[in-house]
Amino acid sequence: MSTAELADLLAQVRAGDSDAWGDLYGQYAPAIFRFCRRALPTREDAEDATTEIFMKVRQKLGMYDSSRPFTAWLYKVASNHCWDTLRRRRIRQDLETGDLETLPLEHPDPSQLEQLQMDHDSKHVRAGLAKLPDRARMALVLRYYSEMSYDEIADTLGVRRAFVGVLLLRARHQLRDVLAESGGGLQGAVARGRS
Amino acid sequence: MSHFDEMTCLLYLEGQLDADHADGVRTHAAGCAECRGLLRALQTESVWLRESLEADDESVPARLVQAPEHGGAPWGWISALGLSAGGAYTLWSGFIEPWQAQAAQAGFTQGNLLTMLFFSGAFWKGWDAMRSLMEFLAVGTLGLVVMWLLRRHLRRTTALAVVMGALALMVALPPSAGAAERRTGDPNYSLPAGEVVHTDLIVYADSTRIDGDVEGDLIAFSRNVTVNGHIKGDIIAFSQELRVNGPVDGNVRAFVQNLQLYGTVTRNVLAWAGDVNLDQDARVNGTLTAGSGHLEMNGKLAGDLLAFTGDADINGQLGRNASIRAGHLTIGSKAEISGQATAQLRRPPDVSTGAKLGSPLDWTITKSGPETRYSSARYYVHHVLRWGASFLFGLVLLFVVPGFFFDAVKACGKTAPAIGFGILFLFAIPIAAIIVCITVVGLGVGISAMMFWAIAIYAAQVLVGAWLGEKILGEGAGAGAALGRLALGLAILRALGMLPFLGGWISFVVVIWGIGAVALAIYKNMRPQLAAAAVAV
Repeated sequence: MSTAELADLLAQVRAGDSDAWGDLYGQYAPAIFRFCRRALPTREDAEDATTEIFMKVRQKLGMYDSSRPFTAWLYKVASNHCWDTLRRRRIRQDLETGDLETLPLEHPDPSQLEQLQMDHDSKHVRAGLAKLPDRARMALVLRYYSEMSYDEIADTLGVRRAFVGVLLLRARHQLRDVLAESGGGLQGAVARGRS
Repeated sequence: MSHFDEMTCLLYLEGQLDADHADGVRTHAAGCAECRGLLRALQTESVWLRESLEADDESVPARLVQAPEHGGAPWGWISALGLSAGGAYTLWSGFIEPWQAQAAQAGFTQGNLLTMLFFSGAFWKGWDAMRSLMEFLAVGTLGLVVMWLLRRHLRRTTALAVVMGALALMVALPPSAGAAERRTGDPNYSLPAGEVVHTDLIVYADSTRIDGDVEGDLIAFSRNVTVNGHIKGDIIAFSQELRVNGPVDGNVRAFVQNLQLYGTVTRNVLAWAGDVNLDQDARVNGTLTAGSGHLEMNGKLAGDLLAFTGDADINGQLGRNASIRAGHLTIGSKAEISGQATAQLRRPPDVSTGAKLGSPLDWTITKSGPETRYSSARYYVHHVLRWGASFLFGLVLLFVVPGFFFDAVKACGKTAPAIGFGILFLFAIPIAAIIVCITVVGLGVGISAMMFWAIAIYAAQVLVGAWLGEKILGEGAGAGAALGRLALGLAILRALGMLPFLGGWISFVVVIWGIGAVALAIYKNMRPQLAAAAVAV
């Protein structure tokens, strides 16, 4: 869909055209569902969230600044919604992320890390992601799936920008540990001390 | 040779280092195989993560094929909250209050102020139309809750069938009869002797005179209200003066300047008034709760007396206990108190030697003033307890509504807007609530608004305290850290509040600040709906 076509479609949705709304939904709902599927722990959560996000989009469309890419705005709405959903379920910065603060950061052995990547395909990674704490999973999805900037991630997750890098690195460590554990015998092998 | 750490390497790869720092990494990596290896591994991991995340191995579910047409989930929650209140009322009036009434008949009279003020269904009793509506809404609420819980197991058609079935069932049930007559004075209203109103009577008039009988409740919004007839329900009056000469089978709830009781009240009297006077011919079979400037009790009171008053003169008969907090208390020679009497006073009481007391009057002097307060250990214990209570409230807030809690704490950082909104809301909500209360239908809304306002005032110190703790200790991670910061902030605020002269002002500013933060947090959550409404307009 070209930029002009999209602008025309959005104008029709703003004017209350149900068919245009259906077209817009049909165009973007699959992508948003896929995003939610990665950001939220279960498929049912993702289904509910997709519906709720599009209800929000319809309400908020008047606030959309057409000088910005629509998809970026859409993902911003989606990520905010997913994070709100997660934090309503449990205390934000809960104990699991509190534990992260004290987790020793050992540097990986590059060869073991590469071996880990070879041993696990996308299904393993997705399964591993589901086992991560909410904030760690969100950080990885926002960065490596939605390609958000550090500023956008900080804004969405409500953390300082300087903390985003730490968050991502910790999340990578956790994912490595989860995958190593599921792989059997690899736990701890990917990490080693380095002076 | 020292290597760069993994964090620095990741930030380098992600383009997050400044130019000088990035050059340093690049130069070092050119001559360091170990760091090059780490950089390569991290880079590969990034690509691997992206590819794994982008891999599409799931189809879009069928239920998402059709675009959603309706939004407004927050409004749904607001409605559900209101309906839940209806459900709570129904539970109270349908089950608990009858049980309480039986207990009262068995001799266990109502002595709990909270119960009497906020939960006693007698305040609403007799508003059958309102009650029916509330019950209907409560059933609806329960239905909605069940639907929500089962939403994943119900197909759309099934849900529709359940809703329609429930509605049909409710319509088929025999509705409870109930109505109210409304009378507006021109400018005065009078119900002549011999006339009977068979339902509730709601009167708006400059002056109201009831010589006839009312079989339901009498609800009056009037400058002067005089009741000579027989009221079989309750009297609820908002007026300058209320004079009750005739018998009342229910309760008297008076929000007036001057209450004069000459007749018999079968149940209880609750009065917020400038002056409350029970004449020697007056008789109250239940309890008397009075918040007043002056209380004169010359009649007979079968139940308990609970009074917060400037001055109290007791020269009548009390069948049970008396608990009085007053500037001064006089117990005359004709007074008879069968139960125990306790009093907190500013001055020693005057107790006539002719007074008949079941047990000696237990009275204490309440002193005020910084010099007496600060030398009392009780004062500090009291503050520690209040600190504990506010911390407990914060704990509940944090675990029940964490999102709102953090939003409101964050909003405290916007000092100027928070204080601005705080001033606005501190005064605007009570005024709006009073205006809403003037219309009978809005009475529930007005009282709810006032309760929300009171809760917001209490929550203010918690939110500002949490913000203050975070400012001092920095942002923390985890519930434990948040609670630690809350505890510290509340302790500081309580200590500041104890300062002579300044303390009161500081507490006042904290209240304004916190209320403003609550308003900002609410606004943040409501903004999408407001924007949508603006677009719709």
